[in-house]
Amino acid sequence: MFCQFTEGYSISELSILYRYMLSCRRTYLLGALWLIGTNGFALLIPWLLKLAVESLQYPARALHSSAWYAALIIMAALAQGGVRIFSRTTLLHAGRRIEYQIREDLYAKLLTLDLPWFDRERTGDILSRFSNDLTNVRMLLGFGMLNIINTVIVYLATLYLMARINPSLTLYAVIPFPIMILLVKRISSSMFRRSKRAQEELARLSSHVEENVSAATVIKAYCREESQIESFREISARYFDCNMGMARLRGLMIPIMASTGGAGTLIVLFMGGSRVISGAMTLGDFVAFNGYLAMLIWPTIIMGWILNLMQRGAASMSRLNHVLKANATLTEPSQPAMIQKIAGDIELRNLSFSYNSEPLLKGISLRVKRGMRLGIVGPVGSGKSTLMRVIARLYPIGEGMIFIDGVDINRMPLRTLRDAIGFVPQDSFLFSRTIADNIAYGKEGAEAGKIEAAARLASLERDVQRFPNGYETLVGERGVTLSGGQKQRTAIARALLKDPTILILDDPLSAVDTKTEEEILAGFSDYYGDRTVLIVSHRLSTLRGCDLIIVLGNGRIVEQGAHEELLALNGQYAAIHREQQLRAEIEGY
Amino acid sequence: MHFGGLYEDEIVGKAYDRRLMGRFFRYLRPYRWMVAGTLSLLPFIAASKLAQPYLLKVAIDNHLVNGQMAGLPLLALYFFLLLLADSLLTYVEVYFLQLMGQRIMQDLRMELFAHVQRLPAPFFDRTPTGSLVTRLTSDVEVLGEMFTAGIITVVGDILVLVGIVGIMLWMNLKLSLVTFSVLPVLVWVAFTFRRRMREAFREVRSRLANLNSFLAESIGGIAVVQLFNREATERREFTRLNAAYRDANLPVITWDASLYALVEALSSVAVGLIVWYGGGEIVQGALSFGALVAFIQYIEKFFSPIRDLSAKYSIMQGAMASLERIFHLLDTETAESPPSPQPSPTKGEGAFLSTPPSPSPIETIEFKDVWFAYQGDDYVLKGFNLRLQRGEKLALVGETGGGKTTVTRLLSRLYELNRGSITFNGVDIRDIHLQELRRRIGVVLQEPYLFTGSIEYNISLGDEAARQRVEEAAAVVGANRFIKNLPNGLNEEVRERGGNFSAGERQLISFARAVAFDPEVLVLDEATASVDTTSERLIQEGLRGLMAGRTSLVVAHRLSTIQDADRIVVIHKGEKVEEGSHQELLAKKGLYYRLYQLQFKD
Repeated sequence: MFCQFTEGYSISELSILYRYMLSCRRTYLLGALWLIGTNGFALLIPWLLKLAVESLQYPARALHSSAWYAALIIMAALAQGGVRIFSRTTLLHAGRRIEYQIREDLYAKLLTLDLPWFDRERTGDILSRFSNDLTNVRMLLGFGMLNIINTVIVYLATLYLMARINPSLTLYAVIPFPIMILLVKRISSSMFRRSKRAQEELARLSSHVEENVSAATVIKAYCREESQIESFREISARYFDCNMGMARLRGLMIPIMASTGGAGTLIVLFMGGSRVISGAMTLGDFVAFNGYLAMLIWPTIIMGWILNLMQRGAASMSRLNHVLKANATLTEPSQPAMIQKIAGDIELRNLSFSYNSEPLLKGISLRVKRGMRLGIVGPVGSGKSTLMRVIARLYPIGEGMIFIDGVDINRMPLRTLRDAIGFVPQDSFLFSRTIADNIAYGKEGAEAGKIEAAARLASLERDVQRFPNGYETLVGERGVTLSGGQKQRTAIARALLKDPTILILDDPLSAVDTKTEEEILAGFSDYYGDRTVLIVSHRLSTLRGCDLIIVLGNGRIVEQGAHEELLALNGQYAAIHREQQLRAEIEGY
Repeated sequence: MHFGGLYEDEIVGKAYDRRLMGRFFRYLRPYRWMVAGTLSLLPFIAASKLAQPYLLKVAIDNHLVNGQMAGLPLLALYFFLLLLADSLLTYVEVYFLQLMGQRIMQDLRMELFAHVQRLPAPFFDRTPTGSLVTRLTSDVEVLGEMFTAGIITVVGDILVLVGIVGIMLWMNLKLSLVTFSVLPVLVWVAFTFRRRMREAFREVRSRLANLNSFLAESIGGIAVVQLFNREATERREFTRLNAAYRDANLPVITWDASLYALVEALSSVAVGLIVWYGGGEIVQGALSFGALVAFIQYIEKFFSPIRDLSAKYSIMQGAMASLERIFHLLDTETAESPPSPQPSPTKGEGAFLSTPPSPSPIETIEFKDVWFAYQGDDYVLKGFNLRLQRGEKLALVGETGGGKTTVTRLLSRLYELNRGSITFNGVDIRDIHLQELRRRIGVVLQEPYLFTGSIEYNISLGDEAARQRVEEAAAVVGANRFIKNLPNGLNEEVRERGGNFSAGERQLISFARAVAFDPEVLVLDEATASVDTTSERLIQEGLRGLMAGRTSLVVAHRLSTIQDADRIVVIHKGEKVEEGSHQELLAKKGLYYRLYQLQFKD
């Protein structure tokens, strides 16, 4: 009965879980043993009750007094309580342990996935897989398993004991149970369907709110507040109807559960009662029988719910499998080239790159020798950042297009390649850690002196001195909120400290003014040494010291040469130059 | 459905806050009859539950022990009827509880939504969209849960508990007292556990927050992680946080399991006590067998609601936290009423709408020494002056961040100016009824915003009068040409944010929108984004249609616009620096001359 799923998730989604469960098989086994113990003591109680009643009814035939049985009941109760703590903790802990393990595996997988994968997925969605979906799976593994094992034990033992008292009565008494399980299962699967509909309505409702909030200015400008409220009322009413549809079903659950137990009691009352009167059963049997019947109710109720949980668990597991089974297109080379140290000669041979379908880089050929400084300019969307990213192999690139020291980067171990590159991305992403941790991000455990030197070189030192805890100040909400310029300079210090052979600066100081940018970059000339440097900038003044400047347009190199040569060409570079001069004039107006 | 032991990532706080609940109860008022109805059902439900063990007692004492078959079928029938009544009444009860809960949720949601509509534009600048969506969805949902699983069922549970205690005391005083001797233990256990759980939860919550923010950061900074070869260290840190979270959960499980096991054990201990003391009573003839069995059943019924008390507790905690956030949003000032000395809209309407139904046309618009800052003293406009005559087309030009867009926002009073005044025919706009003001000024924003729905809806925005003019408006701006080619014409669906239309088409739809509302004054913020030449031609034609015969104030980014303008005003660093016609300004060779070369020349 577990294998029928009305929705499109097959139980095979859960198969990956068996591996995790197998790794915890001892814990599950132990938990099952504890559960047997728990139920052993729990099942003793109705039997002791029977003996007590019999000893009260027929004191002559009794082995022990009812007080003796009462004492045994209390002892069994305490023992049952004690063992129950172990059974519950063991199995629920197993759920948490496996959840931990799956989360570990998910995260490890994430780290191996490439940027194209992250570009396709939404962060919120990944996060929800880590929280909501993992929770559903954990519930199944902990709480669900606890109850599945428990139900099996309770059913087997209770039915056996009931049959020992009176087999035919047992048969009658449990008649309502299968009916109830079927009812609960049917109800929960239509609940599942309705709840999906309700979820869709809720999604519609929240996107209406989202749209409304994002378009607040339009709505105000056109005085559409009232009509927005009206359409929200309609959506809200539809959602209300969906919810009431669910409520009607949910309302059924409680009485069905209660009446199943009651129906069993009714059958026992009438049929068992007549057996007691006819002398086929003792009063003690009757009492014990009632007690056992009561013990079956809770596991039966929970079975219907477990079926639901398995459905949700399978749906969630399929969402987790989406991550666990994801494949990165960008992988380590199967036959890596043996490289000791990268010197820094870069060669691009007819480099083309497309992302989705639109080609972003078209036939770029270029040689940048070790120790050279290359400047890159061009309008927004001309492919400057893309070029920087493919050189660092953040995006997968075809064979035979990018060579470093004459070796195709696809054949270089990723670690070697990236160790050689210091990259300052356009959006300077910093972590919510201390300034020192952020600067030393590429060189773990760097000495304080080195960190400070890198900060000084990036003109960050004076800013850090003003922070409450200096280099130990946390970045972000819980510490200081850095300005755009401070963030960029921290990201520069981070790349400088790494002591790279190739330094890539992708518009590294867009948030500071021209003068400051020039000052900061002027301080780098000693540092550059024989490093290969690639600088993207939207300010030509920044590129003045470059050995070669390329102008990109629409993914192609449209002009190249030194500053003076490019000016003399009187083409795009010269146009950008004029524009920036005008801008400087306007700025100073 | 909730079972003991299911704790999710709920908020830890008070489970009952009198101030919040007091305010929440006001929402129950419209449904007071339904509340009264469901409350009045509770005693009947309790009675039908409580009568079942009693019938069992009668059956045992009068029939089973005596061997008297006659009357047993009748008793069974009574039992059946009680069962039926119990089920039916519970169904009705649960249904109406949820109906009430859903109604109240809907009321709250509508109130919140309507409230958000009245919030001023600056509020939306500083509030993340996501948090507002959460207020209207998740937070309201949590309150619904309080209804289905929490508050009123607690009333029912308490009624059952009191009823059980009453019946037991009535059946046998001494036996009851012996049985209830476990209660102090139960109370002590419950309170101790509550305290422990609260502490354990706080730990769980803070570790979960750490884990989640670390994860979010890893995803956001994945490129940096990979570029700096930090996978191994990041993984180690994640493992540490992940393990810390797992370990924080273990005590919660242990405490919860202990509570659950103890409650179970106590209920069985109570059974033992009944047998021990009751056995003696039976021997003395002071208690019947039936009463003994009924006692045992009562005590089982007594403990069952206590079992999921902890789940209910956490639902209530969550509900309080949501209420707090919802009320906080409802208490946010709707500063749409002006902060002027006489902020009465009646005065405003009186002053401007003195001659309804057709108010006098706007002859002049004047900015006098206008100062404005979005934040603190960071003034974007510094003593800005401008005069616009009826029928004039005025273009605003200047560098980004110079204050052009701000001028348009102040005119439609999306933001309130700090100093100075803006007047229409000499009347301060703060004295004009806001709706009236915005009806007379048509605003086209820089980024055209399209809603999900049809094109027709996007042009009319659901306004009846505008709907009449949709086709005409589309024709005026030339949008009809591409609309005609769509399979469903005006009824073509617009996907989220207009994703299925090109930038140019989106612009045209937003132009048509402005035309359909037929405003007296047009305020237009031209998009800066460059578009292909076909779109550019479409947009230029659209703009001409849009501005024809209308007083217009345009933040200009294209050559055709400045060439068509009657007058150009140059804004620089929050002030008007130059003014005149295109030719005059060019001849001056000043700031405009440079801007022209930078922004407009091809």
